[in-house]
Amino acid sequence: MRKKLLYEISKPVIAAVGVENVLRAIVESIAKGTGAKGCSLLILSEDGSRLVHRISYGISGAYVGKGEIEIDATVEKVLQGEAVSIPDVADDPRVQYPEAARREGVVSVLSLPMRSSGGIMGVMRVYTAERRDFSKDEVDFLDSIAELSGLVLEKAEERERIAEEADKAREELTRVSDERERFVYLMGMVAHDLKAPLAAVQSYIKVILRGSTGPLTEKQEEWLNRSVKRIDGMLELISDIVDISRLETGHIAPELTTVSWKQVLENCIEVARGLVEPEGIVLVEEIEPDLPEIFASEVRLCQLINNLISNSVRYTPGGARIFIRAGQEEDEIVVQIEDEGSGIEPEIMPNIFDDFFKGDRESREGTGLGLSICKRIVEMHHGRIWAESPAPGKDKGTRITFTIPKGAICDLTFWEKQKEDGS
Amino acid sequence: MAAKILIVDDDPDIVDALYVLLEGEGYDVVSAGDGEEGLKRIKEENPDLIILDLLMPKLDGYGVCKTLQDPRWSKWKDVPILVLTSVREEASQRRYELETGMRMDVDDYVEKPIDPDVVMERVRKILARKE
Repeated sequence: MRKKLLYEISKPVIAAVGVENVLRAIVESIAKGTGAKGCSLLILSEDGSRLVHRISYGISGAYVGKGEIEIDATVEKVLQGEAVSIPDVADDPRVQYPEAARREGVVSVLSLPMRSSGGIMGVMRVYTAERRDFSKDEVDFLDSIAELSGLVLEKAEERERIAEEADKAREELTRVSDERERFVYLMGMVAHDLKAPLAAVQSYIKVILRGSTGPLTEKQEEWLNRSVKRIDGMLELISDIVDISRLETGHIAPELTTVSWKQVLENCIEVARGLVEPEGIVLVEEIEPDLPEIFASEVRLCQLINNLISNSVRYTPGGARIFIRAGQEEDEIVVQIEDEGSGIEPEIMPNIFDDFFKGDRESREGTGLGLSICKRIVEMHHGRIWAESPAPGKDKGTRITFTIPKGAICDLTFWEKQKEDGS
Repeated sequence: MAAKILIVDDDPDIVDALYVLLEGEGYDVVSAGDGEEGLKRIKEENPDLIILDLLMPKLDGYGVCKTLQDPRWSKWKDVPILVLTSVREEASQRRYELETGMRMDVDDYVEKPIDPDVVMERVRKILARKE
């Protein structure tokens, strides 16, 4: 009952006047109210080896600074919950600093345990300038006040800890987002500065190729055309790297909206037609109606599907087919891009989603980042992606399948989480 | 009389390449190296079409679009604009909407690097629409 009552009293008082004021009021009131010289609160150090001064009234700075109080048998007794009275410090072996006490004019010392809900926090000491034997009633009453002090201190510590943790969390957040901001900003700058000169060179070459500056020899035309291709490859690489940095830093947040799968697939198919038709490839659509909506970046979902289709186009001969399928299976959306192309060698199958991995190392086409970007996009939507070659039920071709849970919400911090899981 | 085209781009190489391309097609071409100069040239030259880069010093392409919507510029508010930039269209739109609360009202949007055939096709289309 006592503890509960004290706790209930301490709460609104602390809230109203603050921890320090409550503690100061306690030590001052005790000293004045009991006619003592002074009063102090000593708290147990973190490692439990010493008592440390917290607050006091009526005693000098010199006495406070006399030194650390070791946990000897007497202090230990108090910490066990027993009040210890020393009527005369002058000839008592239990006193650790008799000389300092004499100089301070202290004669009697009463030590009381400061209980709290988590155990004993430290010791309250009442000092008198005359010899005094505290009565049992006085000790009992002071014991209650010591307990109140303990509860107040505990509360204060808890608050400090919470404030510290909140500060740390806030700092961490600023650090992470600062780093992200800086990184994405830097990537953006680098990308722009890399692209701009390439775009300028590319523009010159294309205007020259168009004949605007006069006729070209066959060799000039051929080499300039090859230059254009090399520059295109480099521009593609820069775009891919920027995309990866955006995905990994969650910097696609502004793109997120509720989009329907139907709309995404329709857009992709339109782009896909532009890719397959010049190659004489047939695009077969098998899209279920009534596909649900998803909270995601339409741009990224299209990028995902278009990357898969353009990969297929690269390895599929004219006249062959590319299938695009989409449907619902239980609580997932399943999308498949299947081609009748040359397929994937089993040896390289485990690596195809790796950064910078190219099936044909000699190839100048592609950046080796296409599928790894796809994997990131799928994973940030809590989905899975995998490849099968030859396509199931066939003797050639490749089928790439990805599944995304219905109602998935794009997770912008997935990459950080993955890093944490990995470490 | 040949249509007059104003190129506003801070990359002198892009300006040169476009200049040669457009002049070769018989257009009257003028140019500016940033948005501020661009606005000045719009007033002086009364172009039939503006080819506008977005990321530029002093005043960027977004700023030029915004300025032309100002009542004081009403004389030029209908000059067609072809945006030619390395910024992706959806990113530009997002930014413009965020800054102005309006859609960026341009006549066409071409991403760099320049493909002369594409540029010429768009230029012809816009100018034909105007007539």
